[in-house]
Amino acid sequence: MASAPQPGEAAPPLDLPTLQDGRVALADLRGRVVLVSFLRHAG
Amino acid sequence: MKVRERWDRWERLGAAAVFVVFDDPELLRRTMFDDIDVSSLPFDVAVDRSRSTYGAWGLERARHRDIWLDPNVYRTYWQLLRAGDRLRPGGSDLLQFGGDFVVDAAGKLVYSRAQERDDRPPVGELLSAAKRAVG
Repeated sequence: MASAPQPGEAAPPLDLPTLQDGRVALADLRGRVVLVSFLRHAG
Repeated sequence: MKVRERWDRWERLGAAAVFVVFDDPELLRRTMFDDIDVSSLPFDVAVDRSRSTYGAWGLERARHRDIWLDPNVYRTYWQLLRAGDRLRPGGSDLLQFGGDFVVDAAGKLVYSRAQERDDRPPVGELLSAAKRAVG
């Protein structure tokens, strides 16, 4: 497993389906500041 | 999702947010999102069932003792119960850690915090990082 990327490094890729029945890719959000928050288990 | 409560501040920055989960969407709709219409959220909730994206971002699994011997876990649940929240059935893996990252407009990280215990950063800390990235 990769170690967590650090400030100054390029963000790893993110391209996933969404609960909103769409798809989100970090590359498509280039040009904006993006918060990426990985959650723990449901509940 | 405390970010949602202060979403107006993120909007003023022109920022976006992506929340990533790994549990089955139906479980999520019955638990974490049982009182939320996900289509009304101002941000995406991405589903990483294989947790390959979790791995690519360096997010690890806890050891059992990291969870059950951490007094913060009990303190957090106690606070939630006192605030009137309710315990919900857990998802498929209680040991998977999360993490919070802020990415600038060029795709570089300006904030990185992989979870190592029950220690998510305050939303204000994330917002400050986003403000610095916007400049």
